[in-house]
Amino acid sequence: MKSSMLVIIGAALALSAAQAHGAEPADGEEIYASVCRNCHGPTGKGMASFPSLSGNDADYIGTRLTQYRAGETVGPNTPLMSPMAVDLSDEDIANLAAYISTEFQ
Amino acid sequence: MSQHVSVLSACALVASAVTFGMTSAAHAANTTSLTHTAVLSGLDNPWDMAFLPDGTMFYTEKCRGLSVRMPDGTVHALLGMKGTDDDFASTAEDLFCEGQAGMMGVAVDPDFEQNRQIFVYSTSDMTAPGTNRLMRMTVGDDFTSVADRTDIVDDVQYKPKATDHPFGGPGAHNGGRVRFGPDGYIYLTTGDTHNGEVPQSPTLIGSKVLRIDRDGNAAAENTPPEGFDPRTYTYGHRNVQGIAFHPTTNTPIVAEHGPWHSDEITVLVNGGNAGWDPRPNMAGRGDCPDNYCGYMPNQMEGMNRFERAAFMPMTDFDTYPDAMPPLWDNNGWSQGTSSAAFLTGEAWGDWENAMVVGIMGIGFGGTPIGQRIDVIQLSEDGTELVDVTEMTLPMEAGRFRSLVLGPDGALYASVDEGEIHKLAP
Repeated sequence: MKSSMLVIIGAALALSAAQAHGAEPADGEEIYASVCRNCHGPTGKGMASFPSLSGNDADYIGTRLTQYRAGETVGPNTPLMSPMAVDLSDEDIANLAAYISTEFQ
Repeated sequence: MSQHVSVLSACALVASAVTFGMTSAAHAANTTSLTHTAVLSGLDNPWDMAFLPDGTMFYTEKCRGLSVRMPDGTVHALLGMKGTDDDFASTAEDLFCEGQAGMMGVAVDPDFEQNRQIFVYSTSDMTAPGTNRLMRMTVGDDFTSVADRTDIVDDVQYKPKATDHPFGGPGAHNGGRVRFGPDGYIYLTTGDTHNGEVPQSPTLIGSKVLRIDRDGNAAAENTPPEGFDPRTYTYGHRNVQGIAFHPTTNTPIVAEHGPWHSDEITVLVNGGNAGWDPRPNMAGRGDCPDNYCGYMPNQMEGMNRFERAAFMPMTDFDTYPDAMPPLWDNNGWSQGTSSAAFLTGEAWGDWENAMVVGIMGIGFGGTPIGQRIDVIQLSEDGTELVDVTEMTLPMEAGRFRSLVLGPDGALYASVDEGEIHKLAP
């Protein structure tokens, strides 16, 4: 547990660094369209069991994706989210977080 | 673009190729050309539609409520749910949404011209811990209001708390489709609420297809097993969201979500068992998370769908040899099969009297997402599968929640993304 927390904290720090160096919402949009859109919808407002992404800041999105990528159980949709996040790079997460937090307010 | 996206895209291409390779053997060539009109957009999870002969369209939004679109395009918001403030002509504060639950099916009384009645299925917290209810209401003369709400079914199970399952949040598996049959009765489909006891229970009315009259009384012709709730037409379902009636035989046919495998289309038999029984410690299974084996084994990770089906069958013929056999199991995939309708009228050409099924898409564990409308061609007597064709869509695919044939002969399709489309041959 302790080691996984350290991994998450480390990843979150790396993510913050990536954001600080300028995340690319346009690249995030491309990932969103190919990976996220089918469940969260074209405007991120969520559908059926898939939650809305609206109103979340980049830190929240980035932290959640990092947790999913690390295999942490976050909620009942974890088995659906983890496979989506497992191959995301820090840069991908930063770009996605930038896109979602700016586009879906 | 990062390397990751390239890899994902490549995977998607491979998946598409595999899907195409698999389906090309089973699906006929699609030679039709449909026209598309966006009827409504910007909606919030539109769930179902019901038409009057002049094209007036009632529709539900899962977390908003009931509205009607008049033939001239005017929309009247009729009955709002909790949290919609004064956006609707009236608000029912007991109606709420949570997860998959909320306002779902809607049906118009065949005698609407005389009695102005409509029927709407929704989740309610009027009684703890919440139930799903079928409400009868009267539509005002000018179509700007509804009144005289009577809950003719008030005891369909609702899942109030999260459990340790995929999609395990509250509100799971409510069924939700409401249709009048050619016999004049109302057919209401319900779901298992992630409760292993519900599907085969004689008294819990989740996981059933109910057949009732306009007051909610059981149809006298229902023949469920002894001791069952007399409203039961069929039982042992998982989560039926599609029901339609064969245009020449009038037989009800359902389209049903599978678990991590086996969406099914099944011809119903009065009193029949659909064979879903996710209880633990039976049929060779041991304990399961929160006493529900519905996604087992290995419920949180992908695995071979046929191995899953052998462990937790959608239709368990070993335990229930007389279960109603499915006509089609979606090649063993579970992709979110939701709704069903029949294409009637000569304009549909070779597809006249074919069944259409809406598939919402679920990407999990290597399953192709599969958002589409399938055209299911049946034998003349409606008892055998002849062919399955994926409809070539004149617009982008989406989470096809509801399919309804309009009075103009066109197919109306709602998607969770917020649109109601019209597809005309």
